[in-house]
Amino acid sequence: MQARILDTVETAQSFIQATEIWVPDAAGTRLVRSDGLYGLHGAFGSDSSGHSFAMGQGLPGRVWAEGRPIILNDVQDGTFVRADSAERAGLTAAAAVPVYAGNLIKGVLVMLCGDPDFGVGAIEVWHSNNAPGSVMELDGGFYGSAKQFCEVSERTAFKRGQGLPGGVWASKTPMLMRDLGRGYGFVRAESAGAAGLTTGLGIPVPAPGGSSYVLTLLSACATPIARRYELWDVVPGRGGQKAIGALVDGLCDIDGPLWGTERRIQPWQGPVGRAMATGVPVAEVPSGTHRYEGMVALPVHAHGEVTHVVAWFF
Amino acid sequence: MKEQLVVVGAGMASGRALEHLFESDPDRYEVTLINAEPRGNYNRLMLSPVLSGEKTYEEIVTHDDDWYGENHVTTLFGHAVTRIDRDRRIVVTKSGETAYDKLLLATGSAPFMLPLPGADLEGVMPYRDLDDVNRMLDAAEMNESKAVVIGGGLLGLEAAAGLRLRGMDVVVLHVMGHLMDRQLDASAAYLLQKDLERRDIKVHCKANTKAILGSNRVEAVLLEDGTVYPADIVVMAVGIRPETRIARDAGIEIGRGIIVDDAMRTSDPHILSIGECVEHQGMVYGLVAPLYDQAKVVAKTLLDEEAAFKPVELSTKLKVTGVDLFSAGDFAEGDDREDIVFRDPGRGVYKRLVLKDNRIIGAVMYGDTADGAWFLSNIKDGTDVSGMRDTLIFGPAFAGGAQMDPMAAVAALPDEAEICGCNGVCKGKIVEAITAGGLTTLDQVKAVTKASTSCGTCTGLVEQVLAVTLGDDFVMPTVKPICPCSDLTHEDVRRLIKARELKSMPAVMQELGWKTSCGCHVCRPALNFYLLADWPLEYGDDSQSRFINERAHANIQKDGTFSVVPRMWGGVTNPRELRAIADAAEKYDVPMVKMTGGQRVDLLGVKKEDLPAMWADLNAAGLVSGHAYSKGLRTVKTCVGTDFCRFGTQDSTGLGIKLEKRLWGSWSPHKIKLAVSGCPRNCAEATCKDIGIVCVDSGYQIGVGGAAGMDLKEVEPLASVPSEQEAIDITVAFVQLYRENAKYLDRAYKWIAKVGLEWVKEQVVDDLGNRAALVARFDLSQSVYQVDPWAERASTAAHPEFTPLADFSMPEAAQ
Repeated sequence: MQARILDTVETAQSFIQATEIWVPDAAGTRLVRSDGLYGLHGAFGSDSSGHSFAMGQGLPGRVWAEGRPIILNDVQDGTFVRADSAERAGLTAAAAVPVYAGNLIKGVLVMLCGDPDFGVGAIEVWHSNNAPGSVMELDGGFYGSAKQFCEVSERTAFKRGQGLPGGVWASKTPMLMRDLGRGYGFVRAESAGAAGLTTGLGIPVPAPGGSSYVLTLLSACATPIARRYELWDVVPGRGGQKAIGALVDGLCDIDGPLWGTERRIQPWQGPVGRAMATGVPVAEVPSGTHRYEGMVALPVHAHGEVTHVVAWFF
Repeated sequence: MKEQLVVVGAGMASGRALEHLFESDPDRYEVTLINAEPRGNYNRLMLSPVLSGEKTYEEIVTHDDDWYGENHVTTLFGHAVTRIDRDRRIVVTKSGETAYDKLLLATGSAPFMLPLPGADLEGVMPYRDLDDVNRMLDAAEMNESKAVVIGGGLLGLEAAAGLRLRGMDVVVLHVMGHLMDRQLDASAAYLLQKDLERRDIKVHCKANTKAILGSNRVEAVLLEDGTVYPADIVVMAVGIRPETRIARDAGIEIGRGIIVDDAMRTSDPHILSIGECVEHQGMVYGLVAPLYDQAKVVAKTLLDEEAAFKPVELSTKLKVTGVDLFSAGDFAEGDDREDIVFRDPGRGVYKRLVLKDNRIIGAVMYGDTADGAWFLSNIKDGTDVSGMRDTLIFGPAFAGGAQMDPMAAVAALPDEAEICGCNGVCKGKIVEAITAGGLTTLDQVKAVTKASTSCGTCTGLVEQVLAVTLGDDFVMPTVKPICPCSDLTHEDVRRLIKARELKSMPAVMQELGWKTSCGCHVCRPALNFYLLADWPLEYGDDSQSRFINERAHANIQKDGTFSVVPRMWGGVTNPRELRAIADAAEKYDVPMVKMTGGQRVDLLGVKKEDLPAMWADLNAAGLVSGHAYSKGLRTVKTCVGTDFCRFGTQDSTGLGIKLEKRLWGSWSPHKIKLAVSGCPRNCAEATCKDIGIVCVDSGYQIGVGGAAGMDLKEVEPLASVPSEQEAIDITVAFVQLYRENAKYLDRAYKWIAKVGLEWVKEQVVDDLGNRAALVARFDLSQSVYQVDPWAERASTAAHPEFTPLADFSMPEAAQ
């Protein structure tokens, strides 16, 4: 008993207040909820339990139809089917990210945030049409109370390989940046520093069609998006051999840097292993520890296989 | 008085060397660490992620002030050593002199700077240390800043990628025909260049730099062919040279680097050297793995231990996120070589193996490096690959067809699926217990859900449920199997012998899937004991499954003779017994007669062929085997109690004799030693025995789990009882519990540590019914096994194994 009590840590409130995973049903015609973490918004969770979405319907269905990530800064705008329930819960904005393996949708990750005047953080979707000489521009973003950073981001574009969005775009690899306030030679770095944004997670979001999308989650200490990040590199199995996931980078507010730990994981081992094995995102309460209220394991696909899993714990 | 060790250079090699040194002998040296950089040891390999923003400097520090403090290292950071005075044995810095008994030079490399016009302009920098990284980051903060990197090797490309991530426009200039020409062939380099260009990094190969242009600071780079690249910074990453200046000035032998022998000694016997600054057998090293080997060797040399540095095959890793690259060995073209190449253009994969004489001598991989480590080990081992040429390029895994994945099967089980049939525990219950209860180990799951607590066959399944739920937070226990004949542990086997009523060795080996036909010297003694303990009536002891001492019922000595120890109950003897022992000593020419710590007499040096006759003689005097060799009851020591001692509280001698007479002859997982002391003065040393009883006015204090051999441990209190009978019952019940549950060769104290004293108390003290049942089972076992083995073997006719094979008393036999 004693060990468990010591294991629980006082935490700042998370920037993301609810997380859901929607997956195709057996018929492949509707998206049904496979996982949900609602924290203090249990009523919203209960209201959501009966829902499912056809292609084009609601936010998950719209993501599915349009084949791209979407950020809704105002869930009362008519797209969000559960708008009334969200209003009662104080949830105001939502970000939905599809997980595609080639052209096949494996699931949709939905993240919901609360009062836009509360909390500092950023959930952004960056987009490029990949035309020669193109850049990555902001497709949508939710910033909480970091209004100035929001304005700067709307005016910023990243060339290939440049900055977090450009780096992820060019390498097609998730990246975890530590100090967002240095370098880059433009105002966004300065305003990131001013807003207190310190850690940046960039994740490629493969989607059908020729465009590239990058999801960035920028976190500030006061209202973090996550307190622990893990980036897993997946070597696909072949010839009867199992795939292996290797932890290549990560940060934890308690354990510090996670790189260099030689951790390996097999398919099905825990939530990261499950995301690796199924190619479907996972959101659940992590077992074996009382430190975190929830975690997400998001697989990234390339050439029909899972090549990375990004996990964050909050 | 400690010797003074001065270390010059706080790089990765010296840090590792100090770690090895302090691990082995922290008190030999007083260490002073001098570094020209104003900081301590850090992981220089990780400077590139610090440059790119994917790590912070703090994350890559390997040894901080706390570490130096704990290891009493005096540090002088930001002080360059300017001179070594070998005659006076001092090193000189600007701030003074430091004397040494031994000097370790780990001065690393200096970056080579091309002697171009303009190379000394502000903004031209090497890429070697944190100061260089900070200068590059300062430049990156300028708007629309541009960087030119001269050098398309490992370091130059890492700099280019990092600078690009920081927002600079970057051009890489490389004088050779393709990038990383020392590590890659042209095809892999082509893919690498494509990846870099996808990041908008411009690559210009066959680029000869003519000059660096600018007035006060750099403004552009001019090539021989007239191309001009504008630049706000120029990073020169064109190679490193061993930093040997102070060694050279001091007259130490220098080649390309500081010349060292296999033990890392220089030409001066008091000076050693490791790292990028050394030259060993004509080789200098720029990758870290051999430097870590050198660090190990030099630590031993400093402690006067033998060690030799052996260079090994190296592999290369480029630390640019998203670039998957591996190369090792020698992959130059040659007539005596052949290639095996695999390309997957759609995925940007290229793999090439270079073979010579059916051995892999080189490997290059791009885009898919999963098998790199396997190919490297084949290169190192020089494996003959002729038998697997067809599939070699696909790596070690090619077996054809997908295997069923048991983890997937467990993950796919519904919550209602029964995992433990004996206790009716389904998967959902286990998962809920893990998640809600924060359980992380098999033992915790067993305690909470009762799964796997009966027959044990579902243990593997329960572990898989743990792995599926927890991920790599659950470490599959790497339990030691009983022996190479089986994957089962001792505990598994004990459990299964009971649960499946296996009553013979063939039954055990067949039903539990033994990999050998008849076991081995490790498992057979264990199985023999488990079977006789669990099935005393049905199973017959197998002497062929016993160690020599237990077969011969005497302790073999170093010269092949034996020691014979007759039993002396409670350490009490009488004239008749002493006479019989003395007579036997004389009759059989026993070289030594000695008292043992167990309060009996040892006859040492008895010839094997004399054993049966000696036993017969001792038997005739009423003496039986003292089992001084057995995994069974050895002795019950006593001190004189109320019989004679002024302080005796109870009849300790009488109790000791009763216990010995009850317990002797029983086999147990390991030897059992008892003692009974007449009062708390404890003259029989009862408190360090497997079972120790200390008599007090109110009765008997029973303690268990002591040890006085390689481990020293006091007994833990088991029970205090008022009557002698109760003391005997609890002792017998404890012995039986130990016999039925412990792992073979676990002493009682080790077994108690595993199962917990509380559980033992519940079984033999608190639960009277269970105590009686244990006693009954012990007595049943004794009905079979309480026999004098000497009496059984006293006739050589019945036991020819004691007859010598050859008679060397006949001189003719030696001809």
